[in-house]
Amino acid sequence: MMTEKEVIEKIRLLKQIKPEKKWVFLTKERILGKEPIFFPFLKPAFAGLLFILILFGLSFTSLPGEPFYLIKKLVERGQTVFVPEEERPKLELELANKRLEELSKIAEKNDVKKLAPAINEAKESVANATKNLVKSKKVDKEIVQKTLELEKKKQEVEKVLGTKITEEGTEDPTKLVAKYLIEDFENRTLTQDQKQILEKAKVYFENGDFAKVLELLLTIGQ
Amino acid sequence: MDKLKKEFSKIYDKYVEKIFRFVFLKVNSKEVAEDLTSETFLRTWEVFRQGNPKIENVSAFLYQTARNLITDYYREKGKAQIISPDLGRPIVDPRQNLEKQAILNSEMERVRKALSQLNEDYQNAIIWYYLDEMPIQEVANLLDRTVPATRVLISRAIKALREKLEKV
Repeated sequence: MMTEKEVIEKIRLLKQIKPEKKWVFLTKERILGKEPIFFPFLKPAFAGLLFILILFGLSFTSLPGEPFYLIKKLVERGQTVFVPEEERPKLELELANKRLEELSKIAEKNDVKKLAPAINEAKESVANATKNLVKSKKVDKEIVQKTLELEKKKQEVEKVLGTKITEEGTEDPTKLVAKYLIEDFENRTLTQDQKQILEKAKVYFENGDFAKVLELLLTIGQ
Repeated sequence: MDKLKKEFSKIYDKYVEKIFRFVFLKVNSKEVAEDLTSETFLRTWEVFRQGNPKIENVSAFLYQTARNLITDYYREKGKAQIISPDLGRPIVDPRQNLEKQAILNSEMERVRKALSQLNEDYQNAIIWYYLDEMPIQEVANLLDRTVPATRVLISRAIKALREKLEKV
């Protein structure tokens, strides 16, 4: 005769009766409708984040006069807040380079509508870079290279558009950097060759060829 | 609506296996058990989503709905509720090896057949208490009895099952 415990053990064998997993899934789907596969970015909170990311993405390639350009500018301005004071001239030079690139693209496309805002953006940005250079009065190799790059782009754009990018009443950033660089080298002990290069650079400075000054003095620093 | 769906989805996940097994043990057919289980959840969802009247005890509501559907099924088909042991087959984990599975199937079938020969209260008491592992108070509520009366009923149900097992 079976004990009660044995009977209970036999009853528990029936626990193995289970519905098919596929049926369980399909029935739930039939009753409650299809459940979205879990994509976190489909949730409202993530959708907001995704929207912001898309805006940022779109803004990165936008040009002056386009709807998302303001976001691009805001992001860039936000970046400058977190940059230490001594690094700011480099960042402003970088931004000025970007503005000139944008202006160059617009000029290439001959997009007249965007041209005016792009010129203003470029002028403002170059002025900002100059302002920061004046403030810091320090130049290093990176600043010289970025300034040279800026000068090259500026000349190209000015040639195409026939207008000056450096705002009236403000100094030319290339001239400023050249001036600071000459002052810096004048206070250093130089070899005879280096002294000759410096003298040559001063002549270029007098003649207004500031880019050449930078190119020359960059060779001393190397 | 999404919140309700989420809530009901959890209820479904918690009870679907239990309700299916409960129904299967009464109808002994996988297809019929699937149909009736599905209908049980559909009807419960309809009431649940409207929230009027509010379902106080989801478990009790599901089992009562399943019981009503089983009764309707036998009434409509004019079938006796005690089923032939040859109908249908238990659903067990197919990953077990064939010999073991065969022994298990045969033993499960013996228990299922013995269980199906008990009266409805005995069957339900055994299923809810030993298979679904419900607290005695909940079983008592479902059976509409007091807790002591339910204990007595369960004890008698085990005794009756043992007798049936020794015969099948």
